[in-house]
Amino acid sequence: MSDPAKAAVMPGLSYADPVAAYRWLQSAFGFEPLTLITEPDGALIHAEVGYRGCAINISKRRWPDQAPPSDVGGRNTQSLHVQLSQDVDAHFARATAAGAEVLMAPQDQPYGDRNYMVKDLEGHVWSFAQTVQPMTDAEYAARTGAKVEGLSPKEN
Amino acid sequence: MPLAKPAIMPTVFYRDPVAALRWLEEAFGFETTSRVTDADGRVGYSEMTYLGCAISVGGEWSGPQLGGGSLKSPASLHGAGTQFIWIELPEGLDAHCERARAAGARIPDEPSEQFYGARTYRALDPEGHVWNFRQWTREVPLTEQEAATGLKFATSLEI
Repeated sequence: MSDPAKAAVMPGLSYADPVAAYRWLQSAFGFEPLTLITEPDGALIHAEVGYRGCAINISKRRWPDQAPPSDVGGRNTQSLHVQLSQDVDAHFARATAAGAEVLMAPQDQPYGDRNYMVKDLEGHVWSFAQTVQPMTDAEYAARTGAKVEGLSPKEN
Repeated sequence: MPLAKPAIMPTVFYRDPVAALRWLEEAFGFETTSRVTDADGRVGYSEMTYLGCAISVGGEWSGPQLGGGSLKSPASLHGAGTQFIWIELPEGLDAHCERARAAGARIPDEPSEQFYGARTYRALDPEGHVWNFRQWTREVPLTEQEAATGLKFATSLEI
């Protein structure tokens, strides 16, 4: 019954202006619109946008304990990571042209990804990455001195 | 062997990520699949799976690497959270809720039927992150959902 295009885990984000967020996430990050539920006056109740078979839920403050980052001094209690299939630099250019605030410009990481981090229009933290050098756990550990378990890319 | 990583994966931040990994295993049945530990034994990054889904768990952090970002547990923000998570269960939602409660989850919304044809419950973990579980129970036509709620379900996705 559930839409097979949607993942069974769906993160939800609280926005002060969810309609603006619904539009911005499409124009800045290239997400697809999936679901839109509004009040008769157009106020947004629940929306979903997605990318490569995954969905995220956009909503206004959904429960009393939920708050957009602007209500908690710009801090985030969760963040979202998006694994791109190609061209992280072009994605970064599109996002920043749309007004994303740069936390980290694209750079190669010791675990073989090239990634960047930005804040969206209301301060939610996003990380976007493209794998440029697939790496085993042992190679990552050798590069960083960390103990690495189970992180290398898995076979489908 | 877990599947390749999904395109979008949430990271949930905790004051005590090691305790969080254990608690999420016990309460919700998640499985820890990846862990990166620094030379001091601190967990810097980890991933968990549940029924083919993936989330990652991290410790609070901020600093030059993160520009002006600051990632905090709700426990450090008087219980406030900026995101939440939905997880679909194929079956056994009520039993899942009882397992979570027995592990110490707070349950602000008990299992109940929703107008859109699902049974749901909402749990708060020990640091205050919101976890929503949903099990589809019946197909409800959109016209029936609109009649029951007064809401409008857009057929166009433009707004």
